[in-house]
Amino acid sequence: MSTFSIGRKAVSFISLIAGIVLAIAGLGLSIAGTGNASRGAMLIGGVVLFFIGLYLFPTLKHHRSIINFIFLFPLLFAFMVTVIIPLILGIGYSFTDWNGIKMTGVVGLSNYTRMFKQPAFLWSILLTFLFVVFNMILVNLVAFLLALLCTSKIKGLGFFRAAYFLPNLIGGIVLGYIWQFIFSNVVTKFTGTYSMLSDTNTAFLAIIIVYIWQYAGYIMLIYITGLNTIPGDVLEASAIDGANKTQTLFNIKLPMIAPTITICTFLTLTSAFKQFDVNLALTNGKGSVQFLGSYIANGTEMLALNIYTTAVINNDYALGQAKAVLFFIILAVVSIVQVRISNKKEVEL
Amino acid sequence: MKKKLMSVLLAGAMVASLVACGSTSADTTTSDNTQTQTESTTTETPAAETTDTASGAAPVRLLNGKPEINDQMQALAAKYQEETGNVLTVETIGGDTNASDELKKMYQADNMPDIFVIEANQAATWDGMLADLSGEDWTNKTGFELIDANMGTIGFPYTVEATALGYNADLLAKAGVDPASLTSPDAWKAACETLDAKKDELGITAVFGWCAEPTNLGWSSGTHVFGQYLDAGLKADDTTYIDLLNDGGKIDEARMKNFAEFIGMMNQYSDPALLIDGTYDNQVAGFKEGKYVFITQGNWCVTSPDDVSFECGFAPYAFEDGINTIIAGPPSYWVAYASGNVDGAKAFFNWCAGDSAQNILVNDAGLVSPFDDCQYEAVNPFYKSMNSYITAGNYSGWHTMLKKDGLQNSTCNVFADYAKGKLDADGFVSTMAQVIADYYAQ
Repeated sequence: MSTFSIGRKAVSFISLIAGIVLAIAGLGLSIAGTGNASRGAMLIGGVVLFFIGLYLFPTLKHHRSIINFIFLFPLLFAFMVTVIIPLILGIGYSFTDWNGIKMTGVVGLSNYTRMFKQPAFLWSILLTFLFVVFNMILVNLVAFLLALLCTSKIKGLGFFRAAYFLPNLIGGIVLGYIWQFIFSNVVTKFTGTYSMLSDTNTAFLAIIIVYIWQYAGYIMLIYITGLNTIPGDVLEASAIDGANKTQTLFNIKLPMIAPTITICTFLTLTSAFKQFDVNLALTNGKGSVQFLGSYIANGTEMLALNIYTTAVINNDYALGQAKAVLFFIILAVVSIVQVRISNKKEVEL
Repeated sequence: MKKKLMSVLLAGAMVASLVACGSTSADTTTSDNTQTQTESTTTETPAAETTDTASGAAPVRLLNGKPEINDQMQALAAKYQEETGNVLTVETIGGDTNASDELKKMYQADNMPDIFVIEANQAATWDGMLADLSGEDWTNKTGFELIDANMGTIGFPYTVEATALGYNADLLAKAGVDPASLTSPDAWKAACETLDAKKDELGITAVFGWCAEPTNLGWSSGTHVFGQYLDAGLKADDTTYIDLLNDGGKIDEARMKNFAEFIGMMNQYSDPALLIDGTYDNQVAGFKEGKYVFITQGNWCVTSPDDVSFECGFAPYAFEDGINTIIAGPPSYWVAYASGNVDGAKAFFNWCAGDSAQNILVNDAGLVSPFDDCQYEAVNPFYKSMNSYITAGNYSGWHTMLKKDGLQNSTCNVFADYAKGKLDADGFVSTMAQVIADYYAQ
């Protein structure tokens, strides 16, 4: 004894089958490059028919899961198309000799061995790690101090909060050009020498300064939220017990906002790793340095910019792709390790 | 029941909007095309379509890499249709995107234009995909076409640009320096000393407007100034030093040493405020205002006679005795995509080398014609000097465009370090040798 009418069953199966056939036909036409104008409508119509069939599928047991799937599908589909498929394709490209236009063959691991033989690339990795370490410490320190300032009882609190956060609203490229002007036209007036950006060491310092200026305001906001969630009674109790300001800060406030610190270190870590726009606009990676016995011309080029230059400027897309795969692995490992460590600490505190 | 009806309606609306979206996106591309076509054909679209079908020529798409002449290119397309009835669609790429990046995307999307712009060293990237244009009429009228060893004559020269040391003739005359005498390092040294001594009298800031800043001007030092090492003093078809360079990144150390001494002189007499951290704008503005006697750019830096109140000319980078050439030639070319409308492209190229097209390109777009029979004189203030070199045969090729892609990003740093005084002339030579060899080894 069936709970579903023959009609519903028929509609369901017919739409499912017709949908699949239409969608495949539409895709086939597109891939074959016939230029048939109705291929788009066929594909979309097919997909829609398929979902109608799925929705009407004669089952009670799985009906809920089907509905869940239908609602999740748009998101999953977008995620597949924009993240998962490019990732797989990218890994594939890294084993070929693709130059952005054509691919003549598979070269195995030679892109991976080649990139480790480039002193310039090794320098980029080293520099990126240096940059991350400096930034993780300095951005968090500056941001936390700003947050303390902005949660104290000074006048014009709203103005300070807005002012510190404002640089974050300016795009990195614009910021880079503004600061390039400042470094080469304003700072030079005081120092009397040439621009900070002309020497590798000072240029690296300049990138760090700009990055802190841009990012500290954002992190500050998160710290402010953290500091505001500390319950008033805890602070009051400590005050009654006679804790002074330093004791309150180190023994009450800091432990209480440990989860915030985790979030902030995680944010600064990953964003510093991915640093690209300020780097591009400020120095475009230029600067000379002696490294591993050779003169390297990309003294301030970080990993992301190095990947971009390899692929787009030097027309070596496959090598750039191989570097990008390594970049992905480094980023994934560092992030996982960092989160694990921080989570443990939170529990201990 | 009401609920169900509502949901069906909503779902229907969603589906309809999806389908609508799908079809509009297809529509937009077509309407885009027609729009560019109308733009290029001005008012005569319907009439044009009939002539088009009558003559049976398919439209030709051209990817222009110079945004500053987009309007003139559209006028060119309109003129082409008016005279021949063929349709030319001009699409312009520029600003932040460069044509070679965009072409890669177009290639992946199977949306290649029939004619597009390439630089000489990009020919290898398109190996086997460009049409051979040899035997076309226009090739007899110019010596500037791009010839590739595998694909034949592939590049149509649409303009000629020249680079050397641009000078302010009025200032030189005031100081009593004859630019024609600047063909040896000694003559240059003497001229620099004279000019430097008369700085206040001439009202100049420095002798040279030379900027070795690598971040934004790396193309200038790394490609153009470096190109003088490759070509200065050589005949246009002489490829001695570029061949040496492309043979695994070798350099002629003796020549490089002389070149380094010359650059050292330029560093010495340049404006310190410009040399290390200047910008292109400051460099060109300084030259236009008469603050510098020489500028290390080409004819593109001053394009209109209204920009300057003095006469401009070119002097050679005479780092060895007897060097008397400037670098002149097309910096980039138009090529025809072999799988595209090759016949249409060929017809356009032949028409483009003719009088009415050259009229637009030379007089309106301010380009310098590469064709021998062109009757128009370019308006460019450097043109007279440039032309005197070209007609006398004293010009070298743009072989710097044949170096390995991206090399300029490394070499420009060596120029910068030399300018800062971190390297001396010998250090410049050895570092240059090492940097180039490393880059080619990658």
